[in-house]
Amino acid sequence: MEILAVRDLTFTYPKCSSPAVKNVSFSLERGEFAVLCGATGSGKSTLLRMLKRELTPVGDMSGIIAFCGAPLAELDYMTAASAIGFVMQDPEQQTVTDKVWHELAFGLENLGTPPDEISRRIAEMASYFGIGEWYDKDVSELSGGQKQLLNLASVLVMQPQLLILDEPTAQLDPIASADFIATLKRLCSDFSITIVIAEHRLEEVVPLCDRLLVMEKGALIADAPPRDVIAKLKERKDILCGMPAAARLYAELGGSGLCPLTVREGRSFIENSFGNTTRGLPQASCSHSGEAALEFKNVYFRYERNDRDILSGLNLKIYCGELFCILGGNGSGKTTALSAAAGLLKAYSGSIKIFGKKLKEYRNRSLYRECLAMLPQDVQTVFLKSTVREELDECGADITELPYDISHLMDKHPYDLSGGEQQLISLAKVLAAKPKLLLLDEPTKGLDASAKLNIISILRSLRDREITVVTVTHDVEFAAAFADRCAMFFAGSIVGIGAPNEFFAGNSFYTTAVSRMTRGCFDNAVTLEDAVKLCSLNGRKER
Amino acid sequence: MRSFSDYNPIAVTVWFFSVTGIAMFSSYPLIMLMSLLGGAAFFILRSGLSRGKEHLFFWGLFLILALANPLISHNGKTVLFVMDHNPVTLEAALYGLNSAAMIVGVLYWFRSFTQIMTSEKLLYITGALSPKLSLILSMALRFVPLFSRQSAKINSAQKAMGLYKDDNIIDDIKGKSRGFSILVTWALENGIITADSMEARGFGTHRRTQLRRFGFRAADIALLAASLVLLGIAAAAAGSGSLDFSFYPTISAEAPDKLGKAGLIAYGALIMLPIIIETEVSLRWKFLRSGI
Repeated sequence: MEILAVRDLTFTYPKCSSPAVKNVSFSLERGEFAVLCGATGSGKSTLLRMLKRELTPVGDMSGIIAFCGAPLAELDYMTAASAIGFVMQDPEQQTVTDKVWHELAFGLENLGTPPDEISRRIAEMASYFGIGEWYDKDVSELSGGQKQLLNLASVLVMQPQLLILDEPTAQLDPIASADFIATLKRLCSDFSITIVIAEHRLEEVVPLCDRLLVMEKGALIADAPPRDVIAKLKERKDILCGMPAAARLYAELGGSGLCPLTVREGRSFIENSFGNTTRGLPQASCSHSGEAALEFKNVYFRYERNDRDILSGLNLKIYCGELFCILGGNGSGKTTALSAAAGLLKAYSGSIKIFGKKLKEYRNRSLYRECLAMLPQDVQTVFLKSTVREELDECGADITELPYDISHLMDKHPYDLSGGEQQLISLAKVLAAKPKLLLLDEPTKGLDASAKLNIISILRSLRDREITVVTVTHDVEFAAAFADRCAMFFAGSIVGIGAPNEFFAGNSFYTTAVSRMTRGCFDNAVTLEDAVKLCSLNGRKER
Repeated sequence: MRSFSDYNPIAVTVWFFSVTGIAMFSSYPLIMLMSLLGGAAFFILRSGLSRGKEHLFFWGLFLILALANPLISHNGKTVLFVMDHNPVTLEAALYGLNSAAMIVGVLYWFRSFTQIMTSEKLLYITGALSPKLSLILSMALRFVPLFSRQSAKINSAQKAMGLYKDDNIIDDIKGKSRGFSILVTWALENGIITADSMEARGFGTHRRTQLRRFGFRAADIALLAASLVLLGIAAAAAGSGSLDFSFYPTISAEAPDKLGKAGLIAYGALIMLPIIIETEVSLRWKFLRSGI
């Protein structure tokens, strides 16, 4: 049965010359799992919002949107609210109430459902999602992943037939987002709920989906099962850069036959098509100056007297001019270590030295003058003014000195920019203080693949200016692509450290997709470039 | 088997306001004494003896209030001594003690009340009045901590980016005020998304209902009825003048008549209600546990 049909949909925002959505037509059957992808600003969010009547933006619209055969505009209020569910990007901002149970009940309360019925439905939902344990908690106590799961559950209690998700995993760490996507797949196969999800982290979701829709500049340029789309768009590197590593490898090497999507398929693609006489690439030895930019010595920290130690005996030396990357799971203490280095938190034992000088010897905030700067995870906390220009003038930033161009953004409000642009502006702001040591907390959070590549090239140009950069991240692929050295953080201290090639080749689980794909076949291949080089060196197998 | 704090919030609230209401509108010393001792005992019963600081604060306040009255007010006939040409009278001293007992007693009660009335129970009570009011309250309860967390985040972010140039108060205030103005912008931006999310889940399409997490059981009704009856007797006694007590110019009170005696007993019983409930629960639990 056809759940959703969109025909010749065109939409133009007021005062805009070109339409945000152009002649889009597609339809979804019951139980289909469709992924919508495209660069930032390609009209994904606009299209999704048009499918949910309550969120439809103001502007000129033509074309037809039909839900279960009836035009969307003619649905009654109750059906429109309950039959189409919408989950947004930010886990925190879309929650309404303070308690988990109240959030679950919120939608049903709005529809005037009798109290007994509400109790039953939310109990059912809490059991299905396994959130019985945090049923009585405050929403603010939950982790980002739990919050997003709660948002999903509180939409599902209204029993929607169509579920629309606008980048739901952008703010989550990789483990939580894989969980979230797996939950979606389960909903789709257990209850045949139709799902449309906009995403730019496609590694997990593409292998699971039935349909891949690709948007570019407001138009739908592909609408087919994922393997067909990738085969069709093989030449479009800009679109493929967010796809699973196996698919990108296939496209880079001009593969033929069925396109691989998962690590398993990628591995058999390499083993079947390429030899492995050359097993490894010559490794550039990792060299560093002997001088330490940041040094932790036996550092212990806890938030409350009776809490557990968050940093317990942390020892770490980061050398001048390095791009250093700290990886690790949620709650392992990565961010805490960074805040302690920035002097925001005070360790109760041990010493932290910045450029050979103890942290407490930097008096009168001299630490933050031409020495150290830290960019927090939530970039919105960086902005204070209503335009980018004021923002940069305030801290005396000179945009001509930056390694990238932001002149076209100068008159916008910082909150109106995309995640990637916000990251660039905040970097510009932080670089104005001319730090020699830059601490970054999750700089790729919520960014699409091309914005990530941009950040990588900026970080490299910062290294050329001899700025030491310490980055905390969950993003394994990102770390492998730019870091000089990586370290794994676990339970408050460093458990493994090394150059990306050896570091990721040594890990079996916490490592890049390429490393997992080429293990045992090639040595120390960690990034896609490594794998592509090795494959082309070895050449295709003769059939 | 529920302890007193698990009873239906409406019954508990009625009981609390009965106890504190009588204490506030009467000035009969015995009532004050019962309220003060009952309030302190109830607080200790609930939180144990660990809250030393709070007790210290309450009794410190008691001392200040009791001493302040005779120093300020010079009414009364019986002069104890003269200080700085001002007479200090027995009546004023006793009046000070009485009103200190009233204030500190009521403070003790409210301290326990705020412990028992979690936000959920508050929502339940307001929800009984109006589901919309209850929603606003719930959103406010979420927003206030959200605000302070965001403000702390902004401050530390700006600090680590070198916003504060010097280590002095003026620079701190400047920085904080800039932080505050963006906090407001952030809250408005945040509000738009929250509003979208509310509308997407059907807010405003229908008359709201409310999930009730507390039911009225027989014991709740009994507690409510007992509170109301005892309140009625005590209020009648206090209102009819049977429990009048005047300090000035000399202490004068008649022995309470029948209604007055009934009122005193009723008030004592009212205060004892939770203690009776708690004792009953713990005895029953002991008995039941011996059978496990």
